[in-house]
Amino acid sequence: MKLALDEYAHLDSPFHRWDPRCKLVGFLAVIFAFSFVRDLRMLAAMVVVTVTIYIVSRLPASFTLSRLRYPSFFLLALVLILPFLAGHTIVMSIGPLDLRQEGLIAALQIATRFLCILTIGVILFGTAPFLTTIKAMRALGLPAILADMLLLAFRYLHEIGGDLHKMQTAMRLRGFNKHRFSVRALRILAWLGGSILVRSYERSEWVYKAMLLRGYGHAPHPRSEFHTRSSDIITLSVFLLVAAGFVAGQILCGSGSGALLQ
Amino acid sequence: MHIPDGILPVPVTAAGYAATAAVTWYSVRKINQQENPRREIPKASLLTAAFFVVSWIHIPVPPTSVHLVLNGLLGAMLGYFAFPAILIGLFFQAVMFQHGGLTTLGVNAMIMGFPAIIAYYIFRLRELGNKQSVRKTAIFGFLAGAVAIVLSVVMFVVILINFLPADLDIATERAAIYTLAIAHLPIMAIEGVITSLVAVFLQRVRPELLESV
Repeated sequence: MKLALDEYAHLDSPFHRWDPRCKLVGFLAVIFAFSFVRDLRMLAAMVVVTVTIYIVSRLPASFTLSRLRYPSFFLLALVLILPFLAGHTIVMSIGPLDLRQEGLIAALQIATRFLCILTIGVILFGTAPFLTTIKAMRALGLPAILADMLLLAFRYLHEIGGDLHKMQTAMRLRGFNKHRFSVRALRILAWLGGSILVRSYERSEWVYKAMLLRGYGHAPHPRSEFHTRSSDIITLSVFLLVAAGFVAGQILCGSGSGALLQ
Repeated sequence: MHIPDGILPVPVTAAGYAATAAVTWYSVRKINQQENPRREIPKASLLTAAFFVVSWIHIPVPPTSVHLVLNGLLGAMLGYFAFPAILIGLFFQAVMFQHGGLTTLGVNAMIMGFPAIIAYYIFRLRELGNKQSVRKTAIFGFLAGAVAIVLSVVMFVVILINFLPADLDIATERAAIYTLAIAHLPIMAIEGVITSLVAVFLQRVRPELLESV
């Protein structure tokens, strides 16, 4: 299971150098502005902006393409089914199936928005170490409980994943067939899940004691490690303008502000 | 059962974030009212990671296999930590595997998290009378797991069909709802059974894990 999403965080690009707090705000503004877009001309502009940002980020194309392998088959199914089910204007008939214009447009809108938002998200989390991004979220006001849980869960995800892998290998070596359905197999898989939970619980007790020894809960709140330069503010302003431009463009190209609510 | 980016209109995703913020605020407030909230954070965090990993286990359902959701078990075990745990799990899903999405994080958190809270209250019903009864743990474990997944499927289907940005006629909508509901029936049964089996396992091995953190 490929977990590393920051394997290219060491590269050097304007987005790698950008203050992570400004980057979070700027990229999220663009992501939410993209989700407003319905008009086909604005969809084209969205693709251009996404490709431009991706080129500037210097991330290899293979990075995003490899990330596209996992996204849900659900979306693929939706995009394939909608043109045959949604709408009334029949463009052409393929045997018993009618290809409908409204469904085609809806599928195009969904697929384009999905791909652009996904790509921007990949750049956001791919151009800084994940821990730095979490610290930036904390600096922007994420509650301490959530930030601590995020950091700890991320820290132990790989190890617990390793435990599962080892236990599944041991089961296989003892002759367990993971493809055969039976009540016994269900019970064994439930025990596997239960064992992972018990191991993690026991590990959490040692972790808590180790954290206490390191002053958890008593250490002074660390000062923010982030420094905002004027270039960071300028880049953020550009991103906010782009985001506002897409919202305004959708209002102008669509049917007024009501288009945003569709 | 995660709604990806690009499908839902902005008012729906915004409403999802507003509801998620409210439930998270309430959960954090309840956690802070506990005697030593910091003590529970490592436990809840590692169990969050563990649940994320356990959801990778594939259960054979011939001719295919399904992966577990386990939001019912998560609610039963984590109590008020369940909603933040689900939010974090979905965030990891969105940024690591591009399952779900960043704009739909709020909606997806409600679809998975709200039923987890209901499951927590269902599972607590076993505390009425003899708490040590394995049969009661099995029954309420099954109910917590099955009800949570039923609620999640209902919320998922209702949101998806109602807010899909395409005109579907009523007959098509109804057919889609029935198809999605029937497709999830085996998953509901399996989630209930597995939740029940894991709850009984934990009661025998580490009963304190069922005393919600």
